[in-house]
Amino acid sequence: MTRRLGTAALACAALLVAAGCNGTSVGNGATGGAAGGQDGKGDVTGSLQLTFWGGANRAAKTNAVADLFVKAHPGVTIDRQNADFGSYFNKLNIQASSKTLPCVMQLQGRQLNDYTKRKVLLPLDPMIESGVIKVDDIPQEVVDTGRGPDGKLYFLPYGAAYDAVGVNETLARQAGIGLPPDKYDWKQYTDWIASAKGKLPDGVFAAGARGGLPNYFIAYQLANGKQLFTDDGKLGFGKESLIEYWEMWERLRKSGVTMSADAQADEPQGAEQNFVAQGRLMTDSMPGNALTPASATLAGRAGGQKLVTLPMPSGPSGSGNAMFTSGFAIPVNCDNVPTAAAFIDFFTNDLEAGKIFKSDNGAATNRKVLQAQIDDPQLPALKKHELELFAKIAANKPPTILYPPGYQATFENAFSRAYEEIAFGKKTVQQAADSFFTEANAGLGG
Amino acid sequence: MTAVTVGARPLFGRRRSRNPLVLALIRHAVLIAVLVLMLYPVVWMVAASFRPSAEVMNSLGLFSKNYTLDNYQQGWSAGQLDFSRYFLNSVAITVLSIAGNLFSCSLTAYAFARLEFPFKRVLFGLLLATMLLPYHVTLVPQYILFNELAWMNTYLPLVVPKWLGVEAFFIFLMVQFIRTLPRELDDAARIDGCGHWRTFSRIILPLALPAIGTTALFTFINSWNDFLGPLLYLNRPELWTVSLGLNSFLDVTGESAYGALFAMSTLALAPIVGFFLGAQKLLIEGVATTGLK
Amino acid sequence: MSAAVTKSSRTGREGLTAYLFLSPWLIGIVLLTLGPMLYSAYLAFTSYDLLSAPRWIGLDNFRRMFTADPRYLSSVKVTLVYVVVSVPLLLVVSMVLALLLNKGIKFLSGYRALFYLPSLMGASVAIAVLWRQIFGSTGLVNQVLSLFGITHGSWVGSPGTALWTIVTLNLWAFGATMIIFLAGLRQVPAELHEAAAVDGAGPIRRFFSVTLPLMTPLIFFNLLLDTIHAFQVFTGAFVVSRGTGGPADSTLFYTLYLYQQGFAELKMGYASAMAWVLVIVLAAFTGFLFLTARRWVYYGDER
Repeated sequence: MTRRLGTAALACAALLVAAGCNGTSVGNGATGGAAGGQDGKGDVTGSLQLTFWGGANRAAKTNAVADLFVKAHPGVTIDRQNADFGSYFNKLNIQASSKTLPCVMQLQGRQLNDYTKRKVLLPLDPMIESGVIKVDDIPQEVVDTGRGPDGKLYFLPYGAAYDAVGVNETLARQAGIGLPPDKYDWKQYTDWIASAKGKLPDGVFAAGARGGLPNYFIAYQLANGKQLFTDDGKLGFGKESLIEYWEMWERLRKSGVTMSADAQADEPQGAEQNFVAQGRLMTDSMPGNALTPASATLAGRAGGQKLVTLPMPSGPSGSGNAMFTSGFAIPVNCDNVPTAAAFIDFFTNDLEAGKIFKSDNGAATNRKVLQAQIDDPQLPALKKHELELFAKIAANKPPTILYPPGYQATFENAFSRAYEEIAFGKKTVQQAADSFFTEANAGLGG
Repeated sequence: MTAVTVGARPLFGRRRSRNPLVLALIRHAVLIAVLVLMLYPVVWMVAASFRPSAEVMNSLGLFSKNYTLDNYQQGWSAGQLDFSRYFLNSVAITVLSIAGNLFSCSLTAYAFARLEFPFKRVLFGLLLATMLLPYHVTLVPQYILFNELAWMNTYLPLVVPKWLGVEAFFIFLMVQFIRTLPRELDDAARIDGCGHWRTFSRIILPLALPAIGTTALFTFINSWNDFLGPLLYLNRPELWTVSLGLNSFLDVTGESAYGALFAMSTLALAPIVGFFLGAQKLLIEGVATTGLK
Repeated sequence: MSAAVTKSSRTGREGLTAYLFLSPWLIGIVLLTLGPMLYSAYLAFTSYDLLSAPRWIGLDNFRRMFTADPRYLSSVKVTLVYVVVSVPLLLVVSMVLALLLNKGIKFLSGYRALFYLPSLMGASVAIAVLWRQIFGSTGLVNQVLSLFGITHGSWVGSPGTALWTIVTLNLWAFGATMIIFLAGLRQVPAELHEAAAVDGAGPIRRFFSVTLPLMTPLIFFNLLLDTIHAFQVFTGAFVVSRGTGGPADSTLFYTLYLYQQGFAELKMGYASAMAWVLVIVLAAFTGFLFLTARRWVYYGDER
């Protein structure tokens, strides 16, 4: 009876927000807190709040880095907060509304413009000019992923993740189809998937019903040289390319090559429990840094199957790999900018810090930090593969995507849902594309 | 516990000439079947918490060739702090919440059940109305308020509302219960010269023990399982509660640990189950009164 | 005359005492309930994203809800189906088990405690993971079914059945409702049953003519509370569908959609408007229930 009150409070809770008492708008670049110190110069001392997403493992590594920073700068105390990815942004939104954003806050390019739009972040460029934050060893195109629509840098990427195509090599060899050829394109990839039909063990599918995975689609559009978003943050590709993409997946699904939509909906979360890790799929898209945990689970299964990651399929415009960076930003309400800037610089560029963090959230963006890890004889082979593949992808100068405000909340959810409606037979591809375009364009940009 | 009068008044069955023993057997068989169906998931979770991490999700049976306590060790010392800290924090918040609810709800309930005052009907209507409102509606406005009061990273936001009786259901429960107590008691107390305060504390409270126990248990469960409140107000891991600790095992972008999650969930459920089993009779009586007029 | 004076002065004093007793609750209701409610009522007519000041837009939120938001309408439908299915089911199952446990059964307290156990667990993270396991394509349910040669896809993963898994999750915690019925059944006077039995009424007949009428106040109470809970259902759907309301919006409950709009998309004004529509619907339902109560709820004595 009342049992639902407690836990269920979760949500709607957040709804009816009274920001009345401080709902003043932060218009026109008005800055709270940090008067002066915009260049990040000043004493590194006092207290600092740090917030990031991730579970216990990541928290342990992040904390170790923070402790190292405190050791190097007596007089600094760091207040750490972390939450899982889903809750993290909800919490950040609430903190933004009450102007209590932590001085060092972790962001990805995917959400960046939800915050730049509302002018709650400090540009980091003055701090780079003053030399407080160094970017010399970070590839330019990686730094650029932290820029807002105005061209200013709002977060400094410390880790660059990429999505790869994971292949269960053992299953592919058993099916007698091997791996896709080098520099394979989407047609070769889907043909290769289709060729596994009937050659896999019972209950194992060649691929997932993945028409609703945003990152796969982004890779497809990049390979075909399509723009994803217009400058004003609306959809930048035509409806026909989306229809073509979904029809490609639908052909695979209907011919029974991919998993059924309902089975796909069952997939457990977490890199070490998903279907590839469980050995139920021969191939699937996966984050590059999921290779290690997924392999560990797979190895534990009978037969000790082996997983590899490949770059995304290419196309007329070359590689389809986008870079998904994570990094730290400083909010305008921060009252200790010098310390925040010093910490961000330390986390991103310090060799010792990099060694502790072990590229846990994407490959280290700093070349020297990354190289030190690759050269480390202690580095496990799988992690090495992950980092080397990153280096390979980075060498191709992947394009930078400027994600419009509302991307994560609107685009990603609407995209997966639209494909679900197709796969469950609730809508035709055409209808789903129509409603997706309507919904996404209504929610994006602005 | 109850006298055995098997088959005295069978509620089912066509005729009373049925063999009572057979009837009883059928009845128990049905009940046990339903119980097995209901409790298997929990039993499975407990069993899974003793399986090695790689096997946790792979089987739906209860058995494993190699039971281990690894998940418990891992879970207990996972994260930035060990779980004992989270347990202590949860206990602190829960105890303060229970005290707050008992304080505010019993006072309010006494007034509604035993005193005459202007606007009584209006206020009682308001009380019932707040029971029907989506309670979560108020959480974020409260967030802003507590933020203004600089209560972030303290337990005040989680506890103070309880001292101000925001949980109308418990007030209602106590009102219902106090109404079942005979008025003669109050009258006798008044003749002995007790004021309202003493009548309330000496006569009514001791007799309302079932309602108090029920309120305590539900408050306990709610506080213990509360997730969003701590997530919003407690940003520092050293203040975290068990639910936040559990959640930190589930990380969609990194490695999660189901084994440790189940192990710690099992530990987190233990106090609730213990509390319930300990005070079962009292509680059943308390819960039951809510439905009586 | 003088009696009236003393009486009024006594109620005056008593009133003062009463307000002293009520003071914590009064402070709470003004600051923590009514204030926020009023504020959200104002927000319902604004466009508000938490980060910049609310902008007055009149009835636009309500207009959008009913004319331009197919997802809103589908969330209404999902919620109504859930309420209509899960509440009666919960009441019937609770009643049947309460009857089974009612009179003279061995190990009553043990049974009662075990049936109540799931109600204590709520929808914690672990229980949610478990539910996905049980109703997954290779889950426990399908394993059992396959023993009988029945194959079925995933229950949580198909739009046709996902809602039912949440109904099950709700039903799983029927213990709370059952306990109230059980308490009521113990107060049904045995003489009435005996008299009916002497008149030749069978057990089924006796249930409908003796037990059920006496139980109506409790049925009313449980119906009211369970329906209100059902309208506000959130946690189960949130954790089982991982906050999406999927697959294909089949578990997009009203409160979950409200959460998505308000919290994920920061449309706080819209979410407030939705919340108020819900409040109005609940108020209407409650009023309706109380109005009809006179016709079917049996009170042994007048109140």
